[in-house]
Amino acid sequence: MNMIDLKAWYIAKKNVKEKLKNYGTMFWTVAFPIMMLIVYKLAFTEDGTTMINGLTVFDVEFPGIVVYTIGISTVSSAVMFSMSKKDGTLEFIDSMPVSRGNVFLGAVISEAIFMNLQLILLFGFGYGVLGAHFELAMMPIGYLIAMIYGVASIGLGLIIASFLNSPEGANGIAMLTHMSLMFVSGSFFPLDNGSVFFTPQYWVKQVYLQLTVIGDSFSDLMYSGTIITPTSEATFFPIWGGILMILAFTAAFIILGVKIFQKKTTL
Amino acid sequence: MNESILEEAKVIYSDPNQFNENKHSNEFIIEVQDLKKSFNGIKAVDGISLKVRKGELFSLLGPNGAGKSTTIRMLTTVLKPTNGDARIKDHSLIKEKDKIKPLIGVCPQENVVFEALTAEDNVEFVGRMHGMDPADIKRRTKTLLEKMNIAGRKKPAKSFSGGMKRRLSLVMSLIHLPQILFLDEPSAGLDPQARRLVWDFIKNLKKTGMTIILTTHDMIEADVLSDHIAIMDHGKIIASGTLEELKRSSHNGNILEFSFSSKEELIQAKRKLKQIDKVKKITEMENNKLIISFTGGVKTFKREILREIEMFKTLHFREDSLEDIFLKLTGRGLRD
Ligand SMILES: Nc1ncnc2c1ncn2[C@@H]1O[C@H](COP(=O)(O)OP(=O)(O)O)[C@@H](O)[C@H]1O
Ligand SMILES: [Mg+2]
Repeated sequence: MNMIDLKAWYIAKKNVKEKLKNYGTMFWTVAFPIMMLIVYKLAFTEDGTTMINGLTVFDVEFPGIVVYTIGISTVSSAVMFSMSKKDGTLEFIDSMPVSRGNVFLGAVISEAIFMNLQLILLFGFGYGVLGAHFELAMMPIGYLIAMIYGVASIGLGLIIASFLNSPEGANGIAMLTHMSLMFVSGSFFPLDNGSVFFTPQYWVKQVYLQLTVIGDSFSDLMYSGTIITPTSEATFFPIWGGILMILAFTAAFIILGVKIFQKKTTL
Repeated sequence: MNESILEEAKVIYSDPNQFNENKHSNEFIIEVQDLKKSFNGIKAVDGISLKVRKGELFSLLGPNGAGKSTTIRMLTTVLKPTNGDARIKDHSLIKEKDKIKPLIGVCPQENVVFEALTAEDNVEFVGRMHGMDPADIKRRTKTLLEKMNIAGRKKPAKSFSGGMKRRLSLVMSLIHLPQILFLDEPSAGLDPQARRLVWDFIKNLKKTGMTIILTTHDMIEADVLSDHIAIMDHGKIIASGTLEELKRSSHNGNILEFSFSSKEELIQAKRKLKQIDKVKKITEMENNKLIISFTGGVKTFKREILREIEMFKTLHFREDSLEDIFLKLTGRGLRD
């Protein structure tokens, strides 16, 4: 098998060109984060009540919106990849000297570019236009964490698509997976259950909450801050533990993805 | 300038490191052993064996559903055989497909182009996957697109007609000048003019020494292009050889095509034909048509026939064709 190499870049470049020309998908990519924010903003219009530390519900929900919106990458990448199965382009690529690992990474890279675009929109529109509360110093780290989680979501979507042959099936199963994870992680409704620890969503939301809503000094948070459990109790986990968990999930999905893709070549 | 790519190809295929001899050397570049593929118990390819010489144009001729595309998909490493193996340039298809992929080019039956990309971007992508130098890709792309009459279009491929996509697909299959080119029904869906263009192009490629495996259900195409023809039906190769060999082995002699205005006329003629010694075989076709193979000369046979049969629409003598060979082997036409 060829090693992972530059060919992943050329595949990514091709994917990006394809998606940019697909105006429907592009519109959705751009509109979805903005729509999500507006819906949440309207749902949690201020009625004078504030939550912790003088923050509004919207401020506190913002990390959840990020988790939901970026997690949808699971669905879009699953659909993208299963389309290439259906239209024969994947089989065509298979006849060329390029490993499936490269195909997987190429897809991750291109999807990550669009996921970043969504993240920029979320941050720009959420903080800039809708005025979600944030700590400037914490923002780059918040962005980075959301992005790493996005890469995990993409990897998960591609893994799902590798088992399914129709874009409709991939869409359905990916959506189901995403929604289930949202519930199990307690991102929709706080869930007082140990299962939350087994989802990347939970860690992203909690760490993120600390960083951009509660936090003010990174080093303080890093070493003495604790992650708030769904029931608002502090855990023994400091923030770096949460960050480690997110990295572990992402690494696991990517390594698993490459392995599964390598195995699931048709010959 | 326009011929540059063919010159380049000639140099590649005559490189002593690639081939011991330029053309038609006796060495087989592909040897297929008892290859089988079943889909849910249905035997799409039912144990085929074949050998392809370097620099040869080898055709798989057969009706739709014969198993041609399935064979191509297995040989191009994208479909796992149920049984059997092939050696492609001495690499096992089962064990060393990674060594085979760089050697081949594929034009699948269904056009596979990246619809959102321009023709140039489509070709560039394939070149990149084959590790080609960007400058080489650019130069060859230009020449090849010009040859195929689709150069200079800046619009995405989704705006192309089916015929244009077909020609783009062809360019994509050979940008890297592969050792072995697989063309699955290359002229399917092309108008007569484009078809001629593609045929001429393939003939020119042949001259460079490239090995080409082609599938078709069109006997004329097989006739015009092939060095060697394998006739496929129901997943099996039922005859194989050069056109001359196939004709010789079928011993059909000459052929008379007889068409009638009505079924009654046909039945009457058939009864009389059966009494003529020279008639070897009578096959009834659609549209009140009979195909008769006979021995001996055309002139005397014609005189004899016209003495016996008066009521008919048209009468046409011709030489034994691939269609007749197929008819004889399977009892039906290629297009049935
Ligand atoms: N992916 C598949 N699943 C099930 N049956 C298939 C598949 N591909 C081909 N077949 C069947 O195998 C037979 C041979 O098909 P194919 O190789 O496409 O024939 P040809 O190219 O000669 O027209 C047909 O009966 C076809 O229906
Ligand atoms: Mg076919």
